[in-house]
Amino acid sequence: MKPTPYVGEFEYSVLLAVLHMDGGDDAYAVPVRALLEARTGRPVARGALYTALERLEGKGCLRSRMGDPTAERGGKARRYFSVTPLGVRALKAMHASLSNLSRGLEALLEEP
Amino acid sequence: MTPTPVPPPVAEALLRLSVRDAEWRDAVAGDLREELAAVAAARGPEAATRWYWRQAVPLACRFAISRIVPAWRPARRRLAVADVEQTSTLGAGWSREVRHAWRALAQRPGLSGVIVGTLAVALAANAVIFSLADALYLRPFRFPDVNQLLLVSSDTSLDAPYLDRESVAPADFRDWRLTATTVSAMAAAEFWDPNLSGVDVPEQLPGFRVTPGFFELLGATPVAGRTFTEAEGRAEAGRVAVISHAAWQRRFGGDPGIVGRTIRLEGEPYEVVGVMPPRFAIPYGADVWAPLALADAAWADRTGGNLMVFGRIAAGHSLDDAREELRAIAARQAAEHPATNRARGVTVMSFARGLGDEAIGPFLVIWQGAALLLLLVACANIANLLLARATERQPEIDIRLALGAGRARLVLQLLIEGACLATLGVAAGAGLALLAMRTARDILPASVVRFVPGYEYLRLDVTALGVMAALGAVATIAFALVPALQATQRAGGQHLARGTRAATASSGRQWMRSALAGAQVALSLALIIAAALIVGGVRRAADGAMGFDKQQLMTAELTLAERPYATEAARRRFVATALDRLAGEPGVTVAAAASSLPYATGYATRPFEAEGAVVTDARQEARTTDFVRVTPGYFDAMRIPLLAGRDLTAGDGPDAPAIAVVSRTLAERCFGGADPLGRRFRLAPDGPWITITGVVDDVIQDWISGQRRPTVYRPMAQDPTLRVTLLARTAVTPAMLASGMRRAVAAADADQPILLLRPMTAVVSDRLAGLDYFANVLTVMSGIAIILALTGMYSLMTYLAARRAREMGVRLALGATPGQVTWLGVSRALAITGGGLAAGAVLAAALGRAMQTALFGLVEPEATVITGAIVGLAVIALAAGYLPARRAAGRDPWQALRTE
Repeated sequence: MKPTPYVGEFEYSVLLAVLHMDGGDDAYAVPVRALLEARTGRPVARGALYTALERLEGKGCLRSRMGDPTAERGGKARRYFSVTPLGVRALKAMHASLSNLSRGLEALLEEP
Repeated sequence: MTPTPVPPPVAEALLRLSVRDAEWRDAVAGDLREELAAVAAARGPEAATRWYWRQAVPLACRFAISRIVPAWRPARRRLAVADVEQTSTLGAGWSREVRHAWRALAQRPGLSGVIVGTLAVALAANAVIFSLADALYLRPFRFPDVNQLLLVSSDTSLDAPYLDRESVAPADFRDWRLTATTVSAMAAAEFWDPNLSGVDVPEQLPGFRVTPGFFELLGATPVAGRTFTEAEGRAEAGRVAVISHAAWQRRFGGDPGIVGRTIRLEGEPYEVVGVMPPRFAIPYGADVWAPLALADAAWADRTGGNLMVFGRIAAGHSLDDAREELRAIAARQAAEHPATNRARGVTVMSFARGLGDEAIGPFLVIWQGAALLLLLVACANIANLLLARATERQPEIDIRLALGAGRARLVLQLLIEGACLATLGVAAGAGLALLAMRTARDILPASVVRFVPGYEYLRLDVTALGVMAALGAVATIAFALVPALQATQRAGGQHLARGTRAATASSGRQWMRSALAGAQVALSLALIIAAALIVGGVRRAADGAMGFDKQQLMTAELTLAERPYATEAARRRFVATALDRLAGEPGVTVAAAASSLPYATGYATRPFEAEGAVVTDARQEARTTDFVRVTPGYFDAMRIPLLAGRDLTAGDGPDAPAIAVVSRTLAERCFGGADPLGRRFRLAPDGPWITITGVVDDVIQDWISGQRRPTVYRPMAQDPTLRVTLLARTAVTPAMLASGMRRAVAAADADQPILLLRPMTAVVSDRLAGLDYFANVLTVMSGIAIILALTGMYSLMTYLAARRAREMGVRLALGATPGQVTWLGVSRALAITGGGLAAGAVLAAALGRAMQTALFGLVEPEATVITGAIVGLAVIALAAGYLPARRAAGRDPWQALRTE
């Protein structure tokens, strides 16, 4: 079994965003970025997103396929992403480590 | 519906340029267009265009950087190194330096492998050859004070090609022993190969009769029993013997009660009084020793003798002192006893030189020379490969210098790399040498081993290996340092000026590499020609004209026991009976006997004096001739043609006039073209006159000289000897006559052992086995040299072709044909090969002349061999140059331009 890759904080966010879109027609860079900005409340640089997507694909956490070219995009195709089982494992590991760290701090952290 | 907005073309082009991956390019551009539509709809087309630029430029930068970064990686690694370059000090981090060096070597496994292999092969060859030379020639005898021992012989003539070590008359020996003061002790030995009988298989043992004190002189003490007493040196004393450790083990099963046991030698009972230690077999692999017990009358004999004389130099004197004194004594003897000693001189030599096989010396010198040539070829090869590597690494070194690396550190680093290569090479070389040594020992033919003193010391000489390893290591390390030394010669600002792309070697270094490749070709050519000449010589000796027909002949060599065959009549009877029986064996066409065979050991020589020849100066006029006793039918059996006169017949018996048949060379040399038939000669100053009745063609008696030596054939019936060789020409396979031979000998004497039973072809090949071995080793060495030289040429050409790939690409792109581009490389190879061959031919000529002198005419320069070697080497060297050049010319010019 491949060792679970380590994902950084931003990659963790990107993975979660892609998972939200998973399988759908929105699992490509534009909606993923919109979701990230909407949920985190922070601006996300396009370049940073592309780099993260590429790197996650390289780590085996994501896989991608090209859609059909559309006139709307000037004849360019979309690149759709989906999270691989390895990506899910990476997410779980990161999630577990964060929860472990935050255990006992719930009172403070979940304070509105 | 609003028309689809169009992004600013320049911005989109920029973006598209920066993204390397086509899919990503589409995805990114498409994403931006998609959002552009939304922005245009919300804020208008102009704002959308500005927005597009703001998005595209940072994206393009990001992608552009990530596109260049992989290409930057080496630079980044060097930057990381630069950190280390400046912070670390010389002594710190040795292990890091060594790790770095291993990594640098592992990056080019092929090159490192070839360097290590080359070094290993050259080291192994040199160490093995040196060990052979050391054991067989330089120090064949290793017992205490061997340098204080000497050997004395009498010389009877000047033109004897070899030293006659068994030549001293008993009375001369007694004079020396009594008068010499520079020699503290002297002992004499006489050949005595007794037949051991009374055992299941009778055998002839190599042995000697020695004067009491012989073992003490040599500093040898028996492992069991004792040596001989003074009393046993007298004629009337009882028969006692000392046996060798080998004989004790082999013939008596290591019987612990051997001392005091009685064994039968020459049919007589001898009491074994001692057993010598293992490996003591002096002289000539002796297995048994008995006292040399001569009667007083015999001790007074001055007319001639066959004693070997050993001595120990007295304290405070040298070999030269002993030589001078013994010469003075010999001169006095000549004056006092002119009748016998007038023409007699004395030769004094060291024990090792005297008992060592002098013929082996030149061979080992040639071997050693060849091994050194091989080492030179290997060093040139290593230098060449390391220089190639240096050119390749120049940019790296330049950059490191520019980044502030200390020169001492750079030199140290390359030094460590060189040391790593040398370590690997030496380790591999040592392993290979051990293996080669074992092989060299095992394939040394047994027939050679018996006559080679020092074989028992044959093992890998650690000192020699150490010296060779040091030599190879120094060469490797020195050439590994070249790039550092060259780089540090340049001023700081120039390091990077050349850039990394145009990394063509400086013309000086290219010249050096070409010279090295040329030198390899030259040295290999010399080695090949030397080997080819010797192989040719061996082939001539084995298959060339011998003057007789070695095919379809079976031989049996034996020595009759002294006592039962004390009378000539008994010997004649034995030979007659055995030949009678042999002739009756099925398949035998002619049966004959002789005292010795060509190419076998044990032939005799005699001084030759023609009747009527005026002897002015005895020492200069004295001639020697080979001397063989043969029975009628011998020339027929050997197929030696009779040129004049008559063959020997049964009528030439003991009572008939003394006659002889002589060889053509003797007839020509001693009678100056006059008809020799009917002329007379004698073989001893007071011997009987012998009439020449026939002349036969020459036979090559001796394998090493190949010379046609004068030979006298006497009827065996008129001068029967104890040494008899039976031979039978047969229509069947000679080996099938073995049992017939045994039956014939047994019919004459059931107790008579046969020393050697073999076909004549085996007599020749056994004699040549050592020479064959020698030639084979030399051939292997020249083969290695050729491979090394070709590796050198091939690597140089491959390297040059790679370096000039851009140039070739440009030439091809500009319309040069592949043939023209190939010629670029081949012309270089041609120049190198031509230069190398010219130098090699000069070297080979000098070497050939030296070998001709050293090897007594065994080697003859043959034009076909030399031309063949030159043409052959030229063809393969050019092929090694042609292949890389053609491969380079065959490449796509664009690819060549791009890959640089």
